[in-house]
Amino acid sequence: MDNVILTTRAITKEFPGVKALDSVDFDLRSGEVHILVGENGAGKSTLSKVILGAYIPEGGEIYLGDEKVSFKSTRDALQRGIAAVYQEFTLIPYLNVAQNIFFNREPRNKYGLIDHKKMERDAKKLLESLNCDYINVKLPTKFLSVAEQQMVEIAKALSFNPRIMVFDEPTATLSEREVESLFRRIKKLKESGIGIIYVSHRMQEFKHIGDRITVLRDGKKIATVNIDEVNDMELVNMMVGRDISQVYHRSENHFTGEVLRTEKLSDKKGRVKEVDITLNKGEIVGIAGLVGAGRTELARLIFGIDPIGGGKLFIKGKEIKDNSPVKIVKEGVGMVCEDRKRMGLALNHSVMWNTVAVSLKSFFPKLLISHKKIVEIVTDYVKQLRVATPDIYRACKNLSGGNQQKVVLAKWLSANTDIMIFDEPTRGIDVGAKMEIYAMMDKLATEGKSILMISSELPEVIGMSDRIYIMNNGRIVGECKRGELSADQIGALMLGVGGDSCAS
Amino acid sequence: MQANTRAKSFITDFVRKIPPVLWITLLLITIFSMASDQYLKFSNFTNILVQSVPLMLVAFAQTLIVLTQGTDLSLGAQVSFVTVLWIYLTKAGLPIYIAAIISVVASMFVGSINGLIVSKGKIPPFIATLGMQNILNSISMLLTAGASIYIYHPLFYDVTKAKIIGIPLVVWITAFMFMVTWVVLYKTKLGAQIFGLGGNQEALTLAGINLVKPSIKIYAFAGLLTSVSGLITTCRLESGQPVVGAGWEFEAVAATLLGGTSLREGKGGIGGTIFGVLLITILKNGLNISGVPSLYQNAIIGLIILMSIVIDALARRMKSYEEGAKL
Repeated sequence: MDNVILTTRAITKEFPGVKALDSVDFDLRSGEVHILVGENGAGKSTLSKVILGAYIPEGGEIYLGDEKVSFKSTRDALQRGIAAVYQEFTLIPYLNVAQNIFFNREPRNKYGLIDHKKMERDAKKLLESLNCDYINVKLPTKFLSVAEQQMVEIAKALSFNPRIMVFDEPTATLSEREVESLFRRIKKLKESGIGIIYVSHRMQEFKHIGDRITVLRDGKKIATVNIDEVNDMELVNMMVGRDISQVYHRSENHFTGEVLRTEKLSDKKGRVKEVDITLNKGEIVGIAGLVGAGRTELARLIFGIDPIGGGKLFIKGKEIKDNSPVKIVKEGVGMVCEDRKRMGLALNHSVMWNTVAVSLKSFFPKLLISHKKIVEIVTDYVKQLRVATPDIYRACKNLSGGNQQKVVLAKWLSANTDIMIFDEPTRGIDVGAKMEIYAMMDKLATEGKSILMISSELPEVIGMSDRIYIMNNGRIVGECKRGELSADQIGALMLGVGGDSCAS
Repeated sequence: MQANTRAKSFITDFVRKIPPVLWITLLLITIFSMASDQYLKFSNFTNILVQSVPLMLVAFAQTLIVLTQGTDLSLGAQVSFVTVLWIYLTKAGLPIYIAAIISVVASMFVGSINGLIVSKGKIPPFIATLGMQNILNSISMLLTAGASIYIYHPLFYDVTKAKIIGIPLVVWITAFMFMVTWVVLYKTKLGAQIFGLGGNQEALTLAGINLVKPSIKIYAFAGLLTSVSGLITTCRLESGQPVVGAGWEFEAVAATLLGGTSLREGKGGIGGTIFGVLLITILKNGLNISGVPSLYQNAIIGLIILMSIVIDALARRMKSYEEGAKL
């Protein structure tokens, strides 16, 4: 291609335990919007960070035009005209708009001090070029709306006169109208010859904004195609298609009686909207959806971490009015979450301490506790759950991710929990440990515990759930029983396309 | 349009930020002037200004550190260290001005070590500077064998008594240091980095800024401010005092918080701190003039400090409640 401005060859990036990028080739032309798409963990953010110099790849080459480059930091990439608009904003709340745009590159006056007037003039010019001159450059960015902050981020990126811009999930936090105006601005940038890498998983946007799409899966490039040569179904296939039959085993089970029900449950921030779900005794219910669809927020809401904004929550037939984790745990609900390190375990404490800390009171209603009995109880759980630890006094930080997750399970089991919420239970765990966790879930459900599983790994949801709810944009957009829908159909619902095949 | 109304709300926010301190200050002045007819004299007000000088300089330093979401617990010990070092070196035969310069440089060096440990070692400032506090206190004690050390020099008297257009020299010095601090905070790169360290460290990293250099500069500058406070204190006491600065770091934190700088998010500034310090000084001065025994005075000042910190914490909790999170 004559106008290719950026090429990567065989980029490989490894993190401990995962190959985040496996020999990825990619190219970008000037004046195009090239969409990078893939499931969570497919490697799209990693690739964009390699291009931005934030990650240094273990293998492969990057070319700007014909020249080979290697970036040691984001600063190197910036100097070569590669700028980013990050998903998480990088603005400093109590510096004003102009100060943020020119942060650390402030224009100086003849005394060597910052020339605020010039800085504000230049900032204004940049914002005008984005048709955003209504933003007051003297206002601390803290007081701007999210969309305005994003415009400031774009202005900041533009101030480097980039030839290449990377947008990482730019619409995740915007309203529809704001998305439209963002797209108008991106098109304008494109017309000026800037090459744009657009990282996203919102399929409904692709046709509006993209020229070409590169699909990544498990760190590998699946294909690069022109946007008008591919349909949504084909894309979904490329993103999720894989063999899932071996890893998952779910026993036949009969469900008796409802243990959890929500009626038009909403949170206060509008991230969970009028959700109706039920969970029966002995059932595994999966909630599928992309990051930002409101799954984790729903779990937090049910577990009482976030306050209820509207609707009702019933646990074992009893309405929970003022929800709080303390109350919910008392009702026999436990949560195993993605971030075990922060919310599940005291990492510096022993397996023993973590297992019995929440349940000591029930084992020992009187004042004194018996060390011998604790050892018995904990040893029993360690055996039952097959926690690989040399002894129960080992600190949890020395265990692998899968074994840490088992200790979290032991904690809830010892507290007589019979409803479990699993939020991304297998993230960051290797396949072997995953299979053990799945087997454990199957066993628990068969024994009569109820499990609500939230996961962004679609195969996991499909493989383990007796019933699946599909979430998009805070709402339940579909429900199906085990085996009713294919991965493609569920994937399409998650992405908000072709959604009428099985809407509840 | 929206931005405009928000500009207004920012101004009201700003105005709302200052008054509590001013109100309490005015309230105190009223109470004290009713309690004592000595209070409302001009001489007493100059007196209050002069009294506030040493803490004022330390509080400017503390404000910078708090803006980066840190706390420097070694500031008080730095003051003691400077008073001791200056006298000690002069006694050892160095010219008094050279000794003063060495003391200032030593204090800045101590600060830069703090900055290095905090940024390079990724040690919480609270812990790093607590260690430094103990080290400095110990050095001061060793240099003085635990007692005050004295020399006679006319410079001390001149500095404390000199006036320019009716206003004491030390007040002018403080005003000058305020200007310098203000310029650093609002007119230099370092100032923007201070707000960045407190507000969004990620932003600094992504801008390719190594966090070590700015941290060293900030703590070294804090050391400079503190050393000036130490020199003025020495002149006033005409001696080197190994424990004179003990506890000033906390009064400086209190003044900073009273002045509207927050312990998080890099929110606040140097202007409010002036009022925070004045409030504390007026309180002390008023309690003295009204004849409240000094044994009670510390309790009252402690209460004010606690209140200021509790108010900050409450404000934070209310804010996170508004955002809808219970944890």
